[in-house]
Amino acid sequence: MNNFSVLFQKEWRENLRNFKILWIPLVFLLFGITEPLTNYYLPQILNAVGNMPEGTVFPFPEFTPEQIVMATVSQYQFIGMLVITLGFAGIISRERKNGNATFLYVRPISYASYVYSKFSMMCILVIGSVILGLLANLYYTNVLFGPVDAGAFVGFLGTYIVWLLFVVSVVLFSSAAFSTAIASVVSLALVLFFQFIDALLGAYWTISPWKIPMYAGYVLSGSVDKTPFTWSLIITLLLVVLLIFGAVYFAKRNISKTKI
Amino acid sequence: MKTLLHMQGLTKQYGKEKAVDDLTFSLLKNTSTALIGPNGAGKTTTLSMLAGLLKQTNGTIVFDGEVTEDIRKVIGFLPQYPKFYSWLTALEFTEMAAKLSGVDHKIAKQEAVKTLEFVGLSDVKNKKTGTFSGGMKQRLGLAQAIVHKPALLLLDEPVSALDPIGRREIMNLLKELQETTTILYSTHILNDAEEMTDQLVFLRKGKLVEQGSMQQVREKYANPMYKIYFISTEEAAKFVEISPWPARQEDSIAFIHLEEEKPVMNEVLRVLADSQLSLLKVERATASLEEIFLQVVNKDE
Repeated sequence: MNNFSVLFQKEWRENLRNFKILWIPLVFLLFGITEPLTNYYLPQILNAVGNMPEGTVFPFPEFTPEQIVMATVSQYQFIGMLVITLGFAGIISRERKNGNATFLYVRPISYASYVYSKFSMMCILVIGSVILGLLANLYYTNVLFGPVDAGAFVGFLGTYIVWLLFVVSVVLFSSAAFSTAIASVVSLALVLFFQFIDALLGAYWTISPWKIPMYAGYVLSGSVDKTPFTWSLIITLLLVVLLIFGAVYFAKRNISKTKI
Repeated sequence: MKTLLHMQGLTKQYGKEKAVDDLTFSLLKNTSTALIGPNGAGKTTTLSMLAGLLKQTNGTIVFDGEVTEDIRKVIGFLPQYPKFYSWLTALEFTEMAAKLSGVDHKIAKQEAVKTLEFVGLSDVKNKKTGTFSGGMKQRLGLAQAIVHKPALLLLDEPVSALDPIGRREIMNLLKELQETTTILYSTHILNDAEEMTDQLVFLRKGKLVEQGSMQQVREKYANPMYKIYFISTEEAAKFVEISPWPARQEDSIAFIHLEEEKPVMNEVLRVLADSQLSLLKVERATASLEEIFLQVVNKDE
């Protein structure tokens, strides 16, 4: 792992100084908090500002704490993933395009360390932000809707982190292999569009990385079917490893695309 | 003197176009070589191949007697348009460059400080590089290229974008470095190469068209001539008519090109004295560096 620490320090300084380390956690924190708050206070809000005729009664559904956590995850699955894919699509390709990467590529760096430094930084930011957001969410859910089983929550969080690893490696791979624009499209397709396809046609299969968030929900409510769940986890982790190796390969192969 | 780097038949092909075509030349240890040629001659491509940023289509690069795949450990490279991470300070950037090039982490900072002092950026070493002017960027670019004391320094147009003062400063720094480093740099301005270059390599359309020391090139292309200044254009025209040697005229100046040092000036003066024309001045002149450049890069193969 030669040079990893130097390259990681550079990533750290970059994300510190361009405030990504501030605004990405804020996005996840915001969605983590608003979901339980709006669901709890919606009746009062509507009563106060809704201009409802006297005597109108809305049958608001009673949410379980698990449903509130999963509603937050579905927000993360759309807006959160959008932020991650678009926010990091240029993580390698932009350095190439700018010509910044010339300074790295003319030195005896290992491309594996280069990719790992980016991967580590992304993981810290993305997984850290999601954990922060979900913990805040858990707190408000607990206060407003009731307790969530701690063991189930940890299992759910672990499962969801596997999905996040998958997303991070997809974005990193696309950025290593393509230009920023194409990388955005490819990672959006792989993260958001495939999720949509899986939701539409997914009844025909049970093992897929795009089912992991759903399985995470099942873990939370304690109703998960062990076999397809375990296989999905294994397949996803294998894909993560493959994507990272692919990213290292393409980072090296695309040196000649660096603007000099 | 020892050869540090030898390239043999170096070729880079993009589709049918050959950006660099069968290039063969050597760099002697602790000498400096200028790659000279118009834009698009293949200078940057050659430097990129040497720096390991591009893979050659054909040919070998021999470094210090060994065919090597990765000479990144022993080179410093300054691109034509150096781009820095705008959020790093000059010192942070130079220190990172040193560490990535294999300088011991314990002394990297110290080396970075020394190098920044050498290139004259001590005052701004804690400023973010995003705020730097063109000249400062070029110096920082030089700093990152030399901080690890490479055996070979590759510079792509190190002074082309600078004003005359900046150009002089960079040239002085390079002169100082020349004592301990082998330097290969590209330029399209022959004057820049005049004072500090041991070897000139002229490229045109990817091919080597001329090679040699400044003096050799000067002698070969000096094209000595007499410039004869007359008081008016008509007088000059009259002289061209009566001249026993082939002569040409531009406004009120007539030119006689020497062939093997003939004619000698006495003969010219005798003809001039006999002609009764109103003479202002006679001088022996040689081609300027700019004219030599044009001659070399335009000459027929």
